[in-house]
Amino acid sequence: MAQVTLYHWEPNANSGKPMLTLMEKGVEFESHYIDMLQFDQHRPEYLAINPQGTIPAMTHGSRVLVESTAIMEYVNEAFSGPELMPKDARDRWRVRWWMKFMDQWLAPSFSMIGWSVFVGPIVRQRDPAELEAAIERIPLPERRVSWRKAIHGTFSEAEIAESQRRVALGINMLEQELGKREWLASDTYGLADINGFNLAYAIPLSQPSLCNDEKTPNLLRWLRAVYARPAVKKCWALGRTDMVKRVAVLDGEQI
Amino acid sequence: MAMILYHGAPNGPSLIVLAALAETGVDVERRPIDLLAGERHVLPGIGEAVALDMGIEGEGPVLVVDGEAMTDAVFLAQYFDELSDKASLQPSDPYAHWEMMMWCRQITERLSPAAALLGNIEFSQETLGAMSDERFEELAGRIVSADLRSRWEILRDGAVDLAQIVDSRTKVLQAVERCEKQLGDGRKWLMGELTIADLATFAWLAGMERVLPESFRDKPLTTAWLQRVRSRPAVASVLADCGADVATFWAPGPEINRWG
Repeated sequence: MAQVTLYHWEPNANSGKPMLTLMEKGVEFESHYIDMLQFDQHRPEYLAINPQGTIPAMTHGSRVLVESTAIMEYVNEAFSGPELMPKDARDRWRVRWWMKFMDQWLAPSFSMIGWSVFVGPIVRQRDPAELEAAIERIPLPERRVSWRKAIHGTFSEAEIAESQRRVALGINMLEQELGKREWLASDTYGLADINGFNLAYAIPLSQPSLCNDEKTPNLLRWLRAVYARPAVKKCWALGRTDMVKRVAVLDGEQI
Repeated sequence: MAMILYHGAPNGPSLIVLAALAETGVDVERRPIDLLAGERHVLPGIGEAVALDMGIEGEGPVLVVDGEAMTDAVFLAQYFDELSDKASLQPSDPYAHWEMMMWCRQITERLSPAAALLGNIEFSQETLGAMSDERFEELAGRIVSADLRSRWEILRDGAVDLAQIVDSRTKVLQAVERCEKQLGDGRKWLMGELTIADLATFAWLAGMERVLPESFRDKPLTTAWLQRVRSRPAVASVLADCGADVATFWAPGPEINRWG
């Protein structure tokens, strides 16, 4: 079988989505850690794999695949192992709808807050000239704008407020949806849960007043159920930063 | 299982879904609505309004099945394709499927917000501007999603950011250039065989020929491909049903990426 190599950062957000999907499918892969905080994703050796300089990327033999959610669907279709998309067409629609909602509407808000409190302060301690040179190497103009905002901490109050509004609304929507069925988009565990867990695993810690056993019992039930899976334990063990160790909050019996 | 499709005139997201419906032959009750009159926000019989209310794609069609409001044109096209035993608008090979979904995602994230912004300024702003304050407030008040409501308000007030207009023109041109490159090896359809990628790209790009004709100059392959899609019996029948100049029908679309 053709060799699979995954270029990824932490088991978190976009990198964690294909990592966990490969592990749930039982696909052996070579893990290639790209240290986002060292701008590894904009170095020539990685740009030779993905010229856009975004992570993750996956190679399967001579094929190069990018975009985390699309990679998840590819992995599910290309390899044997547990089926991670439901059979019913309406359930499949719901999986896709929720993944897009999380990818395009909710995750950017989590990400903006995460970058303003986590990524920005770490990176900001470096030499300004070195940082500017690193930003200039970013291929996509919109990513250059994002990095500048994160590094210099120049998100406007209105931007952060809008992100916080979306996070609160998103938590409520997840709670409501998980009150309807066992898993997020259908009655079987699959890609929507993998995507959602990567987005939401640390919410009880980052948004304790909005997400706890009293206010969001269904969301907590679901987070614990995903966290209990062996593939999730194995995946999160690959994390190197304190950020992903936040997953341990789910060990708590009462949150 | 009764399915009701509420849709606007065949342009943008409504065209994607109507074309997919015609290609697949799935049996659905069609109910045309006036998207620019806000009729999408007063649909009857919806028990589960989450997808409808979020309006991530903007004013697109809504399929109601067992009280569940299903939205997002590309995903509805996939839904019809997967229900149908007639057409196959998605490649069965996993890599070819990934390529199609990547293409559609580029269209959804980059072309569609740009085309919607430019199309709305050209054809819808005047209609909304002429609406009485009372009538507009009533319409906007029914929109549950705050960010979708704000896109309606910005359009009506003529407060669109000039930088977004310039960026949108660039994105439309980039989409045309991407098509021209993709068709460069002489292929008939974007992915080789006809897929949802052709329907989605056509639906957002066809209306731009009027708004930004200069983007299509010296792009013979794309121009010929647009004509090929337009001439397909399924697409032609959908366009003919409307009986009006379809490229002038726009309603507020997806939001422009706010972060990265």
